[in-house]
Amino acid sequence: MALVVGGLISLPLIVLLALGFRSDPRSIESPLLGLPAPSFELEDLEGRTVRLDELRGRPVVLNFWATWCQPCIVEHPVLIRTAERWAGRAHFFGVIYHDERSKIERFLRERGEWGPTLVDPGSDVAIRYGVYGAPETFILDGSGIVRHKVAGAMRPSELERLLAEVS
Amino acid sequence: MRPVIGAAGPLATALLAIGFVATLVGGPIMALQAELDPAELELLGAPAGAPLSGLELVTKTNEVAGLMRCPVCQGLSVADSPMDPAQAMKRKIERLLAAGYSEEQVLSFFETSYGEFIRLSPKPEGFNLVVWLLPLAMLALGIALVARRVRAAPQDAPSGEELAAYRERVRRELGS
Amino acid sequence: MIPAFGQALVLLGLLACAVGVPVGYYAGASRSSRALEWTRRLTLVFATTMTAATLLMVWALLRHDFSVSYVAQVGSLATPTHITIVSLWSSLDGSILFWGFVLGGFAAAVAMLQRSGHEDYLGYTLATTLAVGVFFCFLIAGPANPFRATPPPIPIDGPGPNALLQNHVLMIVHPPMLYLGYVGMTIPFAMAVAALLRGQLGPTWLRPLRAWLLIPTGFLTVGIMLGGWWSYEVLGWGGYWAWDPVENASFLPWLTAVAAVHSALVLERRGTLKAWTVILVLVSFLLTLLGTFLTRSGVVNSVHSFTQSPIGPLFLSFLALCLVGVVLLLALRLDRLGSEPGTSPLASRETGFLLNNLLLVAFTFTVLVGTLFPIVAEAVKGVKVSVGEPYFNRMAVPICFALLALMGIGPSLPWGRAEPAKLRRALLLPIPAALLGAVIAYLFGGRSGYVLWAAALGGYAVWVAVDQGLRPIRARHRGGRGNPSGLRSTLRVVGGYVVHIGVIVTFVAIAISANYQESAEATLRPGEQLEIADFELTFGAVEVDRQPHRTAQKASIGIRRDGADTGTLEPALNFYDTMREPLGTPAVRTTLVRDLYLTVMNVGADGSIGLRAIVTPAVSWIWIGVLVMGLGTVLCLVGAKPSARSAA
Repeated sequence: MALVVGGLISLPLIVLLALGFRSDPRSIESPLLGLPAPSFELEDLEGRTVRLDELRGRPVVLNFWATWCQPCIVEHPVLIRTAERWAGRAHFFGVIYHDERSKIERFLRERGEWGPTLVDPGSDVAIRYGVYGAPETFILDGSGIVRHKVAGAMRPSELERLLAEVS
Repeated sequence: MRPVIGAAGPLATALLAIGFVATLVGGPIMALQAELDPAELELLGAPAGAPLSGLELVTKTNEVAGLMRCPVCQGLSVADSPMDPAQAMKRKIERLLAAGYSEEQVLSFFETSYGEFIRLSPKPEGFNLVVWLLPLAMLALGIALVARRVRAAPQDAPSGEELAAYRERVRRELGS
Repeated sequence: MIPAFGQALVLLGLLACAVGVPVGYYAGASRSSRALEWTRRLTLVFATTMTAATLLMVWALLRHDFSVSYVAQVGSLATPTHITIVSLWSSLDGSILFWGFVLGGFAAAVAMLQRSGHEDYLGYTLATTLAVGVFFCFLIAGPANPFRATPPPIPIDGPGPNALLQNHVLMIVHPPMLYLGYVGMTIPFAMAVAALLRGQLGPTWLRPLRAWLLIPTGFLTVGIMLGGWWSYEVLGWGGYWAWDPVENASFLPWLTAVAAVHSALVLERRGTLKAWTVILVLVSFLLTLLGTFLTRSGVVNSVHSFTQSPIGPLFLSFLALCLVGVVLLLALRLDRLGSEPGTSPLASRETGFLLNNLLLVAFTFTVLVGTLFPIVAEAVKGVKVSVGEPYFNRMAVPICFALLALMGIGPSLPWGRAEPAKLRRALLLPIPAALLGAVIAYLFGGRSGYVLWAAALGGYAVWVAVDQGLRPIRARHRGGRGNPSGLRSTLRVVGGYVVHIGVIVTFVAIAISANYQESAEATLRPGEQLEIADFELTFGAVEVDRQPHRTAQKASIGIRRDGADTGTLEPALNFYDTMREPLGTPAVRTTLVRDLYLTVMNVGADGSIGLRAIVTPAVSWIWIGVLVMGLGTVLCLVGAKPSARSAA
């Protein structure tokens, strides 16, 4: 009796805890994958308006970042290189995630730009994309469907591969 | 001074103070309401509740924010977190409530982009029922076990005196 | 030099444990007093090596000897001395070493203090304790070795301990308290295993068990509270308990241990609930292992987690091993403990205890299910789900209210069957106290149903606790003076009800603080004001304070109340060299009535600050209540300890 009850309680528990190792507590799958990307209309640092709906036909890389985030700094050169390589074949946009405009501008002056940087007042776009932190990158295909979400800094090969996949 | 939000406690004084603050904020909120994106409006559908304002809005905003996970924190709710992203979400919640969206509409609005993870308390449907019902089942089982012991008690169980004698014996046996 | 010496000590400790286990089990099975004496000696060797290794590590930390891997990992020349000592448990490897040290201390204490009064079981008890020791020594010697030699080049300075831990003085006392509770639970576990192996539960088992169960329970009580207090003082959200997985992990063994303390009382009085008490004790230990696993493995999302580490799987294996061992042991030996008549009349103290155990176990189960459900949901649905504060509050509040009510009703019921008239009197007498509690709460402005009910049930329970607690004292006045064992049992009873009063105070304080918290936020430029409750807060300026290990930006906030100046508070944002994002240090003005709590959320380039102000009533009574619980536990222990030794 005790053996049966004890076994019924303890074995599933052990299996369950072992399963816990498989998952990374920090990665959260986006429910937007496979769905049309939330549309937006934002201004970039120069004041030009960017409408997502007008960008159909090429993949779009949407990178939420901030200067206070270490992985974003690590990722910056990766984005510069990839954006160069994909120039004319994909759109690259940065979206400021809870940061001051002046800091962003100084950062870009020092380390170079890789695409228009969009200002997201009130974080409405970050909320519509369900951003859990910075950096997060959304990759949209030519028809405006969200294909990938990457949380954390991307390796150069990773971004290349994902872009190749959607184009 | 730009008060963003005040959590209401039902203390009368607090009510007065916060009510005052909330009225001050009332104006800007009405203005923000108009700013909802057309795509958002489509996603949200028609508001299911009445537009809130003033103290009611402040209280409800905190209540709904308390049901949502702060995305950049560890286990804290949007209501509790002082972090910027949580504050932005709180303002968004406030705007939606002010426009008349119901608690459930607000929660599902955030759920469509953040996933179920954003709800701090699992929605009681489907598999999630396990987390709500299992403890109750356990409690019921426990009550049944206790009830069996209680019912099994003989009607002529030891009276006070017998008990005192018993207690004395136990004490002697334990030698304390 | 130090790495080699440290590793040698740990290996010696491992050897002592590994030899001590079979010798101890042999001593238990054969009742050979020579073997028992050897087990004792090996236990002392284990304790000595662990102590020496820990002191060696502290010395290495103080000397900033970066040739030791752990020192290179957490040490820093800029860290103040007291923080350097604390960094012993600021990271994984050091905390496991500290764990071994505490385990050694407990094992040695049992070996020395239980020379008499526990003979029949001692061999088994020590052997089981040493078996746990084998695991920890193995971790210290291998996968979590803090004494590794740093590969050259040896750094001239290190990063310093986790900034979150450096940020407050409570971090110096909170982890050791919790460790003493966690590790101490090994002893009652070992005793329960001993009882199963021996196949009997006699007074020489029960009396030591009571004491050795109370000790870790008391430490856990205080440790959990200090953790809550720390997060209140440091994390800046104005709360003290967020139902974080790791908080839950410390709460789970506390719940079952408290249940075990109560069921042991029934066992002592009535001779029933034998198997149940043993199971509760075993489960308490298993839950401490589960808690440690959750903290160390990175399986759950939590502020407190150490980063994902290789010892997670090892801990899980150990947990699985213990779980399987316990289940097998129960299956094979539980019958030996004797079947119990175990019935209880409806309105009796026994039923009160049964309900107490039922509620505490249901509470444990609920918290466990809630804590693990995200893992289940992800495995089943493939989607991440949160189980947080709203869930736990919804489930826990009714249970807590039931426990509070029971704390009043249970102790007022007599053991066994009582005459209805007497029963009615016992139950009705405290009602004026309940009304008084509710009226006081109302007069202080309490309008929420939760607070009024908490005050009423609390008033009732306080009356019962005082009445019952004074009973043995009154009895001593009437006669029976001068009997020392009488004094001890009086202390035990008084201590128990002191703990009850502490619980009631804590509970009511939690109800009040949770229902009447107010907060306000604003972006302020120098000279601007924020109002909250009847406070008028004026922002002065931000002052930059450069310290060796951090830079603090302190905002001075002038506080006026009723038009009178009442001083300033200086909440700060601390920038650590080793961390990107600043950590806030809230400034709290604590009074017995309410706390004013200020946090700086950010400092703008233009010298403005984002200020959050929170006013929470009755918070300090939560800490006071828990300290009263700790005091009551000490009284119980004073009452329990000498008789444990005089039994021979």
